[in-house]
Amino acid sequence: MLRKENKVIEDVSAKFKIAGNVQRERRVWVTIDKDNLVALCSFLKGLGFEHLSAISVTDWPQEGTFELTYHLWSYSEKILLTVKTKLDRANPCVDSVISVWRENAQIHERELHELFGVKFEGNGDLTPLFLEGWDGPPPFRKDFNWREYARQQHYDKSNERERAYYD
Amino acid sequence: MVEQATKMKRLINAIWIFNWFNSCGFTELVPVVGSRWDMERFGMVITGTPRHADVLFIAGYQTLKSIRRAQVIYEQMPDPKAVIAMGACTMSGGMYWDSYNTVKRLEDYIPVTIYIPGCPPRPEAVFEACMKIFHHVGAVPPHGKKFAKAHSG
Repeated sequence: MLRKENKVIEDVSAKFKIAGNVQRERRVWVTIDKDNLVALCSFLKGLGFEHLSAISVTDWPQEGTFELTYHLWSYSEKILLTVKTKLDRANPCVDSVISVWRENAQIHERELHELFGVKFEGNGDLTPLFLEGWDGPPPFRKDFNWREYARQQHYDKSNERERAYYD
Repeated sequence: MVEQATKMKRLINAIWIFNWFNSCGFTELVPVVGSRWDMERFGMVITGTPRHADVLFIAGYQTLKSIRRAQVIYEQMPDPKAVIAMGACTMSGGMYWDSYNTVKRLEDYIPVTIYIPGCPPRPEAVFEACMKIFHHVGAVPPHGKKFAKAHSG
């Protein structure tokens, strides 16, 4: 049981001196600091994790960090591997994994740059994906008060029909 | 008045519709299209291009991005033309009233002829609105009407 899952963690910890844990069958988590992220990703792709399923950002305003989560899938081992790393929220900068997964990574990084303002160094096209003419803060950050933003941008308090939106 | 009568006649013969539906929009019109209420018995046809359409149906919440495409579609429609906005989200943002990127006042962006409230509106309300277009046809904006908030591309 869990032989191939433990093998992945052994391989990773032998090279990067980091711990990982097996969540359950076919689910593995690994945490790494952001400076070694690209090296780890490159190593994992060599192990067979060819598909970058998704990248996501979790915002932790109290901690002052963004947590990046990379979901990798191996077609040969049938393992979903989760790589986690933390960034400084005040200066969210991380090396792009475009050198590892190419276009597969490009669109995910572009989206996260738009929605959280995370800067992916090495990604050449971080132009907005969904929003047009947006001048507010990155909208998915937890400290973005979208209700107050909508009131200021879209409503008129002196308008009888819209006064209820300010109550 | 002669001009208005001509407009009315053209609309009364058959309302050709172009749909601009976001999110759940089309499911609101589906009963009208289907066999139970069957809008085609009134000559209402959904066209494949805005250049053939008399009426633009808008439903579902409109985003700041999609409304610009709706404006382009509206401009492509030949005169006389009317816009019918269906449903709560289209009118006021609905449950997305406090979202940062939905349209709250549709009339700022596109000249709306008639709003149909409801979530979704009853098919009878849709037919009633279509009948009322004929009474309001004089209110259909003339050619070249500028949008209050224009698209830039």
